[in-house]
Amino acid sequence: MTDQSAVLQDVRQGMIPAHIYNDKEIFDLEKERLFSRSWLFVAHESEVPEAGDYVVRRVLEDSFIISRDEKGEIRAMFNMCLHRGMQVCRAEMGNASHFRCPYHGWSYRNDGRIVGLPFHQEAFGGEEGFRKKGQTLLPAPSLGIYNGLIFISLDPDAQPLEDFLGDFKFYLDYYTKQSADGIELRGPQRWRIKANWKIGAENFAGDMYHTPQTHTSVVEIGLFREPKAEKRKDGTTYWAGNGGGTTYKLPEGGLEDRLRYVGYPDEMIERMKGQWSQQQLDVIGKDGFMISAASLFPNMSFVHNWPRVEEGSDEVLPFISIRQWQPISENETEVLSWFAVDKNASEEYKALSYKAYLMCFGSGGMFEQDDVENWVSLTNTAAGSMARRLLLNGRMGLLENGENVVEPLTPEQYSGPGSTRVGYSEYNQRELLLRWADHLERPARAAAQLHVGVDSVSAAPAACATETAPDAAAAVPAMTSQEA
Amino acid sequence: MTATPVNGMTLSEQSVLGAHAPRTQRTGQSLPFNDELHLQAHRWLVDEAYLLDAQDYDEWLARVADDVHYLMPVRVTTALGAGYSTSPGMAHLDENKYSLSRRVARFATEHAWTEDPPSRLRHYVTNVRTFRTEKADEIVAESAVLLFRSRGDVGEAATVSAGREDLLRRTGTGWELARRTIMLDESVIRMQNLAIFL
Ligand code: FES
Ligand SMILES: [Fe+2]
Repeated sequence: MTDQSAVLQDVRQGMIPAHIYNDKEIFDLEKERLFSRSWLFVAHESEVPEAGDYVVRRVLEDSFIISRDEKGEIRAMFNMCLHRGMQVCRAEMGNASHFRCPYHGWSYRNDGRIVGLPFHQEAFGGEEGFRKKGQTLLPAPSLGIYNGLIFISLDPDAQPLEDFLGDFKFYLDYYTKQSADGIELRGPQRWRIKANWKIGAENFAGDMYHTPQTHTSVVEIGLFREPKAEKRKDGTTYWAGNGGGTTYKLPEGGLEDRLRYVGYPDEMIERMKGQWSQQQLDVIGKDGFMISAASLFPNMSFVHNWPRVEEGSDEVLPFISIRQWQPISENETEVLSWFAVDKNASEEYKALSYKAYLMCFGSGGMFEQDDVENWVSLTNTAAGSMARRLLLNGRMGLLENGENVVEPLTPEQYSGPGSTRVGYSEYNQRELLLRWADHLERPARAAAQLHVGVDSVSAAPAACATETAPDAAAAVPAMTSQEA
Repeated sequence: MTATPVNGMTLSEQSVLGAHAPRTQRTGQSLPFNDELHLQAHRWLVDEAYLLDAQDYDEWLARVADDVHYLMPVRVTTALGAGYSTSPGMAHLDENKYSLSRRVARFATEHAWTEDPPSRLRHYVTNVRTFRTEKADEIVAESAVLLFRSRGDVGEAATVSAGREDLLRRTGTGWELARRTIMLDESVIRMQNLAIFL
């Protein structure tokens, strides 16, 4: 693999080598050093409300069963049979007390424990040959939950999820904790786009600058109350913890007026007031900003917007969408897009909010359609040899000498945490890419290997991936000789 | 077929936004291919396919009933016997006449970049079966549709395969689409968006 340090150095200057958006080597590095380590969103608790409910989600090629076991615990289990590696669950959602492997019939309880192993005595000599007791499908190395959002990491030593989220939790609550019971998720819609996964994450993190151009059409057909798409530049971008996003500037008025302005009914506003901290309420009521799109590093995004949903009415209605940019390759991404709504909202509100979502975002959303057209085109062009010469200027908001075009907001102007500015800039896209660069330059550690059913073979110690990891095959003769 | 009623309910009735959908359901066996009603329905579907290929959406919208419910559920892979294969409470498209009209209006704005330059489209419509309903002026038509969509000169073309169940209603001026359920044959759409109609 070629030395990428020059690429990472350019990225840190805000000058982005165009080929990082379609480069096999870069993608291999991302797999090895980023997706093997970071916290990644997989599901929300509301997708598995009852004991036995499960969904199957991927981290790149790795399939995981996210289930709620009989005790109500959330589990994330690697979807591969301990025997010969068959996928034990081939549906993408459902309810099951057990997963039975179709190959030779080993069966696992929905908490992962092996409960059935055909001919255990005859084939393995019972517990002496294969220790079945205590064996489970491999759990995800790390699992963390915040506001019902389930994250896993392939790194067993991942920092605690809450530390990783940091101050971004402040902003997550606006999307996922509008009342004591949090949100419920529907979906996801899933579709594949021929675009690099980073582009969507960057766009949602802070690209207010594209709105007036890319999204003219939805303004022209009267989907939004604001007559001009330029309205965006009066909002802020903020970066906090490992995530950042954008806000809209709201018209004059108090907290209630402003929440009503984006379409929240009074009963929901009352619950928000009981739920959010004074600081969280002040961002809206005192400072006059409403959260809009955001991204959490590396590949999770959020949207909050409020279109008109009914004919001949001036009323708008807000919707929330959570999405994931699941990398397929350097030039293809599976988009998973969920509709999220406050669990305690009325059925009528939920239906209208869902309609607002369908019209704007997701596989059929009129907003989103025009975004992807750009991203596909960009990705295509990034594969060529000219793209290797071009450093894209991602320095918006910075003067050549590194000084700010616009100074950050002071605590008097803005109550939320993080670094916040009004107007167009690419601070947030740079923040995402800085974290990306940090991961890419840190060599991955080889994960410990896990040996199933035998005590005598100890797990291989963690080693640096730059050296050849101890060969997995080395363990096999030991096991064979022991059995013989 | 794909849009078989579950618990006596059409998928339209089960959808979040399908409360207004016409409830009419098929009765009896499929009509013979030389039945006059079948011929009219088949002709309607083929004419519609040409309109959609030509992206003549105003003309298309004129053939859509005011109370239309246009539904494309999200398909999911579930175990045999699970009893469902669509994502509960979620669809790709769950439209009424107003939301369809906004989509059509957007194409006319000159800023709908995802269709400028326009896609080259071909709707292949086949396996048409028709059924009478309890109403003399409404029939149910099933069809298989394959959409070929090609954009630009670089990327690969996309295809989408689906089964449809339509409710067609006779009016003073001809037939119109009163209900459509589109059952995709993929759970992950391999196309950059749904800025098209099936
Ligand atoms: S591979 Fe699962 S039982 Fe053999
Ligand atoms: Fe956009």
